[in-house]
Amino acid sequence: MTAYILRRLLHMIPIVFGVAVLVFVLFATVGEDPVRTALGSHATPEAIADLRSRWGLDKPLPMQFVDFVRRIATFDLGESYNSGEKLTVIFKRGALVSLSVTVPPFLVGIVLSIAVALLIAYFRGSWLDHYSTFVFVGSMSVSYLVYIITFQYVFAFRLDWFPISGYEPGLASIPYLLLPWIIIVVVSAGPDIRVLRTVFLDETRADYVRTAFAKGAGEGRVLFKHILKNAMIPVLTYWVTSVPFLILGAFLMERFFSIPGIGDTLINAVNTGDRPILMTLTVLIAIAYSLFNLLTDILYAYVDPRVKLS
Amino acid sequence: MIRRWFGWATAALAAAVLLSCAGGGEPQRPDDGGRKILRIARRTEYKTLDPAGQFDSASAEIIGNVYDTLLEYHYLKRPYQLVPNLLATMPEKQADGVTYLFTLRRGVRFIDSPAFPGGVGRELTIDDIIYSIKRFADAHVNAKSYILMQGVIVGLDEFREATRTHGKGMDYASRDVAGLRRIDDHRLEVRFTGPNPLALYPLAATPMSIVAREAVEHYGDDFGSNPVGTGPFVLVQNDRRGTVVLAKNRDYHGSYPSEGESGHREAGLLDAGGRQLPLVDEVHLPLIEESQPAMLRFRKGALDLHTVDRDNFIKMVERLDADSFRLKPPYSEYFRMSWEEALTCEYIAFNMRDPLVGKNRALRQAMAYALDVEEYIKIMLNGRGESLATIVPHPIAGSERDIDVSYYRYDPEKARAKLAEAGYPGGEGLPDIYFDFRSTTKEMRQGFEFIRYQLASVGIRAVARFLTFSAYLQRVESGNFQVGSSGWFADYPDAENFYQLLYSKNGPPGPNMSSFADAEYDRLYEESRFMENGPERFAKFKRMAEIIRDEVPVILRFNQLAFSLYQKWLRNVVGHMMNDAPYKYLDLEQPAVREEAP
Repeated sequence: MTAYILRRLLHMIPIVFGVAVLVFVLFATVGEDPVRTALGSHATPEAIADLRSRWGLDKPLPMQFVDFVRRIATFDLGESYNSGEKLTVIFKRGALVSLSVTVPPFLVGIVLSIAVALLIAYFRGSWLDHYSTFVFVGSMSVSYLVYIITFQYVFAFRLDWFPISGYEPGLASIPYLLLPWIIIVVVSAGPDIRVLRTVFLDETRADYVRTAFAKGAGEGRVLFKHILKNAMIPVLTYWVTSVPFLILGAFLMERFFSIPGIGDTLINAVNTGDRPILMTLTVLIAIAYSLFNLLTDILYAYVDPRVKLS
Repeated sequence: MIRRWFGWATAALAAAVLLSCAGGGEPQRPDDGGRKILRIARRTEYKTLDPAGQFDSASAEIIGNVYDTLLEYHYLKRPYQLVPNLLATMPEKQADGVTYLFTLRRGVRFIDSPAFPGGVGRELTIDDIIYSIKRFADAHVNAKSYILMQGVIVGLDEFREATRTHGKGMDYASRDVAGLRRIDDHRLEVRFTGPNPLALYPLAATPMSIVAREAVEHYGDDFGSNPVGTGPFVLVQNDRRGTVVLAKNRDYHGSYPSEGESGHREAGLLDAGGRQLPLVDEVHLPLIEESQPAMLRFRKGALDLHTVDRDNFIKMVERLDADSFRLKPPYSEYFRMSWEEALTCEYIAFNMRDPLVGKNRALRQAMAYALDVEEYIKIMLNGRGESLATIVPHPIAGSERDIDVSYYRYDPEKARAKLAEAGYPGGEGLPDIYFDFRSTTKEMRQGFEFIRYQLASVGIRAVARFLTFSAYLQRVESGNFQVGSSGWFADYPDAENFYQLLYSKNGPPGPNMSSFADAEYDRLYEESRFMENGPERFAKFKRMAEIIRDEVPVILRFNQLAFSLYQKWLRNVVGHMMNDAPYKYLDLEQPAVREEAP
């Protein structure tokens, strides 16, 4: 197991390095010139040269790349072009906020979608199955933005059940987060339940299910003890690989509800050409994605004894 | 059972939607326990609160309220005029015509801060002014706004160069600026490089705010988050991504103006005349970047003042005639609206070095006749603009309101005639004309479609290149473009700032992106540049406007109108294009009573 993990970690190095090269080349060649964007049309050649020097953009590209990799490797991530704040401070502050937006509905969504999908699988072919298919496919067809705008208008502005937008640190944030949580659960319910229903239905047709019924097991026992456990591999893949993106938050949600998370920071960085934030975050997400892929593979071995890590 | 459950769920959802349509959303002014708290949304995150390090409106919004400048713009008088702020009087011109005497207001104190001995703010002296001007010129501090003072004060450019070669952290006391002579604690002589009355305008700009040396040294790299000023407010909560809270500086020196324009007294805008500023206890500035939640919060009463964007403008405002707008019912029942002409000029610039458009005046004139600016304003801006006959926006002295000059009006027949005169009857043989745009937004694309359609109707084929801002600047500054969509926002409210856009010595990479060169225009510009406004100066402007019209280096389009909505309980609201955040003048009625919002 240890050897496997070490080998996988070593494999990550070229992947992350490749991502870093790609990101750097893209930003250096086709991205906005951050100096010109910052200085605008009034800029004198001296001002342009000064700022280019301050941001290290007057160095040759290979040297800039070395600086970029060094900053990632040492976790001294540098500073935002816009605010001058340290990226470590920005990311730490924003990631915690983003997690408070995404983790609760993520966990609720897992429980809810497994329960509903099992229920639908249990009543497969019935009016419930058809009705839910209609509702969930319909809900998946509506843009995320429409949910946000509509829910904000109806439940926050008109009905006054929630604050329209805003955020406060700590437990005081909960009133501000309730509506975003509800929207995330509603939006993710459709695709989650559709995927799980398919997975569960595939399992219901497996030989071991027929055998379990033949041995006299009840519907509930077959559903929860046999089908649920055997369906875990695709379920794990589906959810664990989405964990890194929880840190990124929900871009639109944070934007519309004025929640100062990483997602909102990222949108601002795109709008203002804050290259350090964009480049660093992209590479960090690549690292996180690789790590959670590894975690998924390790978990396979725990949920399915047939899987051996070697 | 399950079927029943679904039935209830569906019914509950439907009931919620119906309930929402039936009204509700009772607006409430927050109960602030008798304190006056002004609430206004910030639309973008500020970059830094170090005055010399910023040059963006989001930062200026806060800096302008916690720091002070030597001069400021009068809140009520128009055209915009400078008045003393930290100075006791306007700078007095000396006999040589280039030296000004600055006399500092006495008794102004910095706010209390750990940066000062004992944590108690001290009195402002002329040393702070000299220090702040030098710091503004420090190349390691100010990379963005030095252009405001470049070539203005004797010796300041050399000082900047010295900071550049010295490296970060130069001791300013080790090098004097020849044009700054300290007389005593409250008086300073400033020598300008020439007889330039425009040199006073930068003294009202937020990057030129006055800072305390002790605070800069105490906070070091964190100075940009810890403002220590003499302004009307004190920063008490600095949540960059959340709510910024400013509290009243009870020792502030300023008072509300007692004079304004005609009609101001009747409108109650002079009721607070002579009262000590600021008029509210706190200002809360939550960051709300999206339009919908900001407008919903405004309609709930949770914001006191809010700008109107295009979508809300269509829904809430109607244009009565060219100069008159009103809120539609039911919004007119609950809110008030103010609007102001922005100090902007939008135009289409031709590259005069281009072998096609630059060398064919009749072709440029054909395009000027083909574009219906009035229709563009009506359709694309919903009336939120005014067409221009000169390059100077209407509110600035020397605009078409002061001079009699005609300009192209939409006339497709004349456009076709000019096109034929240009050698392309019906557009035959005319190559595609390339328009460069400075962004890739939906609005830019829609705007171009309007232009493309109108030009095509007379036989001119236009092709658009939508570029990133930096790519656009690179093209324009290298002269590698044919036609560019451009605009200018006043650095200061003087016509010179707009006529310089076509002065030949300001060619690329300067602001004269057209590379327009006309000897008569240049001569008139140089003669009028530093003149006082009046008939003589306006006569020169008139001739310059005629040259622009006849030679068509640019097609003038419009200056925009800026709209704001505010609650009925808010007082002293006046649109002010040179001060985005005049919060010290705003007041709140007390107690607040609100009716139901729409």
